Amino acid sequence: MTGQKPPHESRGDNGSDPPPDTGMGMTAVSYLIAGILVWGGIGWLVDHYAGTEGIFAGIGAVLGVAGGVYLIVRRLGA
Amino acid sequence: MTGQSIVLAADVPFPPSVEDFYLPSILPWGAHDNYWFTKITLLVWVTVALLIVFFLAAYRKPQLVPTKRQWIAESVYGFVRNNVAVDMIGPAGVRFAPYLTTLFMFILLNNFWGIVPFVQMSPNSHIAFPAVLAVISYVMFIYVGIRHHGFFKYFKHALIPPAPWFILPLLIPIELFSNFIVRPFSLAVRLFANMFAGHMLLLVFTLGGFAMISANAWLAPVSVLSWALTIALTMLEFLVICLQAYVFTVLTASYVQGALADEH
Repeated sequence: MTGQKPPHESRGDNGSDPPPDTGMGMTAVSYLIAGILVWGGIGWLVDHYAGTEGIFAGIGAVLGVAGGVYLIVRRLGA
Repeated sequence: MTGQSIVLAADVPFPPSVEDFYLPSILPWGAHDNYWFTKITLLVWVTVALLIVFFLAAYRKPQLVPTKRQWIAESVYGFVRNNVAVDMIGPAGVRFAPYLTTLFMFILLNNFWGIVPFVQMSPNSHIAFPAVLAVISYVMFIYVGIRHHGFFKYFKHALIPPAPWFILPLLIPIELFSNFIVRPFSLAVRLFANMFAGHMLLLVFTLGGFAMISANAWLAPVSVLSWALTIALTMLEFLVICLQAYVFTVLTASYVQGALADEH
């Protein structure tokens, strides 16, 4: 913590910079997990009411991962 | 398993439980069913008082060549401003630096009570405190986003990714879940669980030493080893304390950045 250098542009409040990359990892992981949980959960509910043995939960989880990956590419990719 | 723990519990309550986190009340002294003013409450107030007094005293007469106190306060603020606020949010982040610094110092000090000798109890090991902090950050980043974009534009921006229409029904629930439901939970639970587990770990190793030595005198060397490990774990706990305070601050800044970001 000693000798903090000032940020790259002296005060850092002039002009607009491109948004930084930090926090992207957490966002990516949360999209993946959220995808599995949401669509897996919806599939589980469908299973529950249709009386099937988990086939929809499986399909939902796969769909959710696909959606999560797609979101990561669209939101975080170039 | 229970039989074993009863034998061990001859002198010390060995398997530590959640009950160990509910300390007797201070005011009225020693009451067991009264949680209005406990050690936890006291520690939070001491933290707040320390922070206020320290920062006021450090900046009472600011000097060009800083005194030691002023230098410490400026280093902490500079660290959060440059390495968290400006790095994460960009130039607009400077105006969030005071909040982020307060958040960082509050969490850091509250966590730090977990390893102060004879105190050794972090208020953040009760989920109420991380939960309230997470709610503050949650409300703040949504408010900031609405202020910046306008209500509908903000939620449109946050919920509707740039994608062809037929894939949107798949994506919007994921966005809703990950942006507005998981975030406050993960913030609160991450901090709480780290502090809770740290306290539990120290309890297991300390009480375990006593339990072993009282069960069988031949186990004394193992008890000593257990206590030595307690000291080592305290060092590890220090690392966790700093890391969790930092992570909470960085994630808050990252959410604010996401709320302020323009579509691209």
